[in-house]
Amino acid sequence: MDSMDILSSALLALLVVGYLVLAGSDVGLGMLMPHVARGPDQRRRVVSAIAPYFLASEVWLVSTVGVLAGLFPALEHHAVAALWPVLVALLVGWLVRDAGLWLRARVDGDRWHLACDGAIVAGSWTLAAAWGLVVAGLLTDGLTMSPFTPLCTIAVTSLFALRGAAFGAERLVGPADSESADVAARDTRTLARIALGAVALTAASAPLPGGPAPDDGTALAAAVALTAVLLAVLVATSGLAGPMLSRHTSALAIAVPGLVVALAARLPAEPIPSTVAVFVWAFLVPVVPVMFVGQVWLYRMTRRPAVTPTFFA
Amino acid sequence: MFEDPLLLARLQFALTAATHYMFVALTLGLAPYILTTQLVATLRGDRSRVTAVRFWGGLYLVNYGMGILSGLVMELQLALNWSGLHEMFGYSFAAPLALETMTAFFVESTFLGLWIFGWNRMGGWAHLACFAVVTATAYASAWWVLVANGFLRNPVGFEVVDGVAHLTDPVSLMTNPAALLAFGHIVTGATLVGALVVAATSAYHLIRRNDPHGIFRRGIRYATLVMCVLPIPVAAFGGVQFGLFGQDPPTSGLTYDAAGIEAVEAANPGGPLLHAANATGDITMMTAWSLMFLLGPVMLLAWPFGGLDRWRWFLVPLVATPFLPYLASVGGWVFRETNRQPWTVVHHLTTADAVTPMPPAMALVSFGFFTVAFAVLAAVTYWLLVRYARRGPEGGPLADPRPPGDPEGPGEPAAPVHTY
Repeated sequence: MDSMDILSSALLALLVVGYLVLAGSDVGLGMLMPHVARGPDQRRRVVSAIAPYFLASEVWLVSTVGVLAGLFPALEHHAVAALWPVLVALLVGWLVRDAGLWLRARVDGDRWHLACDGAIVAGSWTLAAAWGLVVAGLLTDGLTMSPFTPLCTIAVTSLFALRGAAFGAERLVGPADSESADVAARDTRTLARIALGAVALTAASAPLPGGPAPDDGTALAAAVALTAVLLAVLVATSGLAGPMLSRHTSALAIAVPGLVVALAARLPAEPIPSTVAVFVWAFLVPVVPVMFVGQVWLYRMTRRPAVTPTFFA
Repeated sequence: MFEDPLLLARLQFALTAATHYMFVALTLGLAPYILTTQLVATLRGDRSRVTAVRFWGGLYLVNYGMGILSGLVMELQLALNWSGLHEMFGYSFAAPLALETMTAFFVESTFLGLWIFGWNRMGGWAHLACFAVVTATAYASAWWVLVANGFLRNPVGFEVVDGVAHLTDPVSLMTNPAALLAFGHIVTGATLVGALVVAATSAYHLIRRNDPHGIFRRGIRYATLVMCVLPIPVAAFGGVQFGLFGQDPPTSGLTYDAAGIEAVEAANPGGPLLHAANATGDITMMTAWSLMFLLGPVMLLAWPFGGLDRWRWFLVPLVATPFLPYLASVGGWVFRETNRQPWTVVHHLTTADAVTPMPPAMALVSFGFFTVAFAVLAAVTYWLLVRYARRGPEGGPLADPRPPGDPEGPGEPAAPVHTY
């Protein structure tokens, strides 16, 4: 592996982890919407909490797909061949969720809002579950009929929900009569315990037949170490200080599945032809500052939520 | 007919691409107009032009939403349904797409978010700069996509190593005439789409004498100028591409030898459906263009007599004119894409070899879902666009929530707001 390959692999891992951490917030909050929001006004506030972020977070996944196609075609081919139905389901969930977000504020009617909120919730759950299946499928070289697959799916889904609850606990603080933020903050502890159980069971089921089979000792050690970190983080979030820690622990927790796949899954690796690597990086490097400024500016600007309704809610 | 995954994948691609492009064309066509209007508004501190930016920007966003939705499906279905293409041409065809996602779409979407949420939150020049980035990256995005698409028509700049194409000459990839000419054609054609949408909306309101901010009298004049100037370049960029038809790409022979190419083309003459689609696309494009070519001079003649603002009989038919550039665009794409058959990458990869081996039942379910979803979403977006265009500046999705004559509040919060 030359330095270009390492750099490109790091880029791919960064995009996946960036997507999980950033989009995990708005996908997770979308999943929890029926639970944290009571009534049309609170649901509107949930959507207006999601809206500034989904535009800037889903682009990480779009870029992941682009990098896979252009720099890692063998890996992309492997993923598509092994997981075609799951990826189609992921795309369906993504489309339905985004359609709900884009269209919600366009018509002023309770039934319209309800339908769009339904699309956001259903799409968010589909996305999270599909990600669980993708993680399981990449770890086991294609989906297998083993307990590992459903357990891993539940674990990843609960990590999304935990991330959403942590995000909601901060973003939904509002008028005194609105309890959404408190509900979300309390949820972080419950969800951390659920995730803790699911991750522990997933780890326990890994040695069973049909579970993941890491290539070598290094991969196994990486997977064990990352799982240990994940368990520790979830234990911390389950405690009394959970809601206070959750902003950072949930981010760390949801990054772990991406890192486990990157470090421990048996993925086809082939050297990237140097011309194409140089070509892509030569155009990418000058734009990185613009990408960075845009993301940071958007996150900083929207720290103070809009008081009047915006384009989305 | 519907048990063949190859046919389903091709139909799905055609529907996705055609739907996606209709929304992309309006995005590309409106962005420079909105940017210019916002520039003038910022330079002069002109409130009526700010209202215009909010109005056209609202239409832009409604349209953009569907552009994103269809674009996501477009990108993912390329990966999901055409894995043969990615397997062989990942390092050449997909490299510009990788750059599109990061250097164009990533930036575009982020800065569009800044522009949407930046109203009343950032300074005028910073807000303008955000839209300038959005416009530039929208065009960069079109450019990269056409570099990839032009590669399919005229594959250049690679060598074949163990059955996989490795890029050797990025410069010839980017200066591929099949991409450059298509980019010129798309940019000028999309401007026609934007201009006629502006013209139709303006005509609708001028018929009702509803133009307190001067938005629509400026709009219809802009459209008149565009319709006089641009149809010729559109045709020129399109016409020159006919010269590429029938030419062998410079890399011909790297995968199949001459006899092999002939054998593939003889074995796949293309069915009646393909030929009908190809001919219909061509005729639709040419007819719609001829009508648009006549439109500009007619509008120009009406200008000195005040007809652009006052003649209701003249304005009424203008409301229907956006159908022309849309028909021409879709027709043009059908013509371009069907012309390449039976090849996905001319003289290198057949469409049959490019498609992912899919279980037929799942292919049918996937095709059914996306077709219905696209039909519903496109219909809803069309309905919303027409509705907002009719409502005018006061009812737009970006209309200033602050009441007139109250420049500060209640846009600024009265009560303290939680900050994160």
